[in-house]
Amino acid sequence: MKRTVYLTPMPVRIWHWLNAFGIVTLIVTALQIRFPDYVNIFGTYKAAIRLHNTAGVVVSISYALWLVYYLFVAGTLVKLYVPTADDLKHGLFRQAFYYFFTYFRGRPNPHHGTPDNKFNPLQKTAYLMIMIVLLPLVIVSGFLLMYVAPLREMILFIGGIKTLVSAHFLIACCFCAFLFVHIYLATLGHTPFAHFKPMWNGWEEVEEEEKPVAEPLSTRVPNPSRSEATCMTHAAGDS
Amino acid sequence: MKVCTVILAVGMVIGAVTGAAAADPGNGRCLGCHGKSDIVRRGGERLHLDAARYSATSHAYIGCVTCHDSVTPRHPDDGTRPSKARCRECHAPVQAEYAGSDHAGNATCNDCHNPHEVRPMVAVSGDEVNAKCARCHDMRKTVKSHDKWLPQADLHIEALPCITCHTGSKNYVITMVIEQRMKGAPHNDFRPATYDELTRLLPQGGDVSRLIDTDGDGTVSLRELRAFNHGAHRKGLRLWGMMTPEVVTHTYQILDNRWDCSFCHASGPRAMQTSYLAFPDRTGRYTRVAVEKGAILDILYGTPDFYMLGTTRSTTLNIIGGLIVAAGLMMPVGHGTFRFLTRKNRKGD
Repeated sequence: MKRTVYLTPMPVRIWHWLNAFGIVTLIVTALQIRFPDYVNIFGTYKAAIRLHNTAGVVVSISYALWLVYYLFVAGTLVKLYVPTADDLKHGLFRQAFYYFFTYFRGRPNPHHGTPDNKFNPLQKTAYLMIMIVLLPLVIVSGFLLMYVAPLREMILFIGGIKTLVSAHFLIACCFCAFLFVHIYLATLGHTPFAHFKPMWNGWEEVEEEEKPVAEPLSTRVPNPSRSEATCMTHAAGDS
Repeated sequence: MKVCTVILAVGMVIGAVTGAAAADPGNGRCLGCHGKSDIVRRGGERLHLDAARYSATSHAYIGCVTCHDSVTPRHPDDGTRPSKARCRECHAPVQAEYAGSDHAGNATCNDCHNPHEVRPMVAVSGDEVNAKCARCHDMRKTVKSHDKWLPQADLHIEALPCITCHTGSKNYVITMVIEQRMKGAPHNDFRPATYDELTRLLPQGGDVSRLIDTDGDGTVSLRELRAFNHGAHRKGLRLWGMMTPEVVTHTYQILDNRWDCSFCHASGPRAMQTSYLAFPDRTGRYTRVAVEKGAILDILYGTPDFYMLGTTRSTTLNIIGGLIVAAGLMMPVGHGTFRFLTRKNRKGD
């Protein structure tokens, strides 16, 4: 038997899609900026630059909102995103073993999400790297590249504009690679779109026999008065 | 007129080859007074000229009296003011070209070119070109007006001589100079190092180009560039590159194709293979030393502070980036293939 649970609060969904739209815009505009002799999607080079800069600002603001939300509103940043000692000792291997071996044999996912532990160890590690290391780095390097002349001293301090551009480009490539993996893993739910739905409408179907979660989950009895901010349940997703 | 043009042409060729040593020996008599600062008290600043700088010009070869031909042996006691030749007497084609430009009504030849210090474009730094323009065009206002349409206008104006965009000049190359940290200078506290400053960095003596061209073969290799740049920051130095034209015209105008960023930024790495390092001599005249082809595209230490978006991208970095993206694609492609092949095992899902 299946039931639907409210897993992704609206602020998280808004942030996710804003961020996704921004990142995709950044990648596409970056293609024209880096390879203008081969790629011309936005008509002029300046249009690509302006759009890239705008998308960069949008992603930066969206990142700041995400950070404030998880640090101060939900207060679950460390709990959700920092792998535990057990995650590092066993969880990473167990999850990787599932994805690359037992999944193909039809075995169940060893990770069962709860509101306090909604990401599997691989997700935690990847998201921690992305959100706490790579995204801030790409934002800071992008900001420096938007104001090269006034911020020249800082650019020289980190080794010159070539170092900065190289770091920005390679991190961007990591984001591009992550995007492919992220979208693909999101299709590994019980149906290919099972993990996409909660990121759109907040609700996801879960198996009744799953291990009960620590907090009661709202069932699919529409209850508009429910506060979304207090409901931090999330899919035990693979994305 | 033809005689004058021939003299000038021959003078320029010989002057370029032999430099100051080829100056007209008759100049000495003039410079005896006009090369000394005392003359400023007697007749004003306009009478004084920097003898060393003048001697390095092609005008020095043809000699003072070629342009000031009415000067008499009794000068300055003859009571007459020596005549001055007009630029167009020798430079008629340039003058005609300039007369047809938007700039002609705003400045005469002498407003931009001091005939006693004039040098060919390859012997001038981009900063010096812009300094001439800045005598009339306030740089802050210029940045502000360009900022309306040009992203990072301040950076562009620092990295381009104005004539690169505002004349029909052609054949652009990257010319780098050594800059030294200096408070209050343009380019965020850096300004081109003078000959004296560079000689102090070379205690063993010799040509200042040896600061980078350590083997003295007349070409700067990528290895030599990297070696210089590794220690440059610690010494308060850096290499500053500007995109300078090889062929200069006097057709001052606002060119339509310069509104399009792709004019410079979409030319591709192949267009950016040629670069030079320019070193000043004691007269301030720059001499270029060729840099190894493609060195400007090096990922990090070749030219750590010179990068032209879209044009000086590194192929090595592109390959590394491509491999990272390909690694990301391996997951959907590789895992997806096995997922499809083993779909029967998950029929219960």
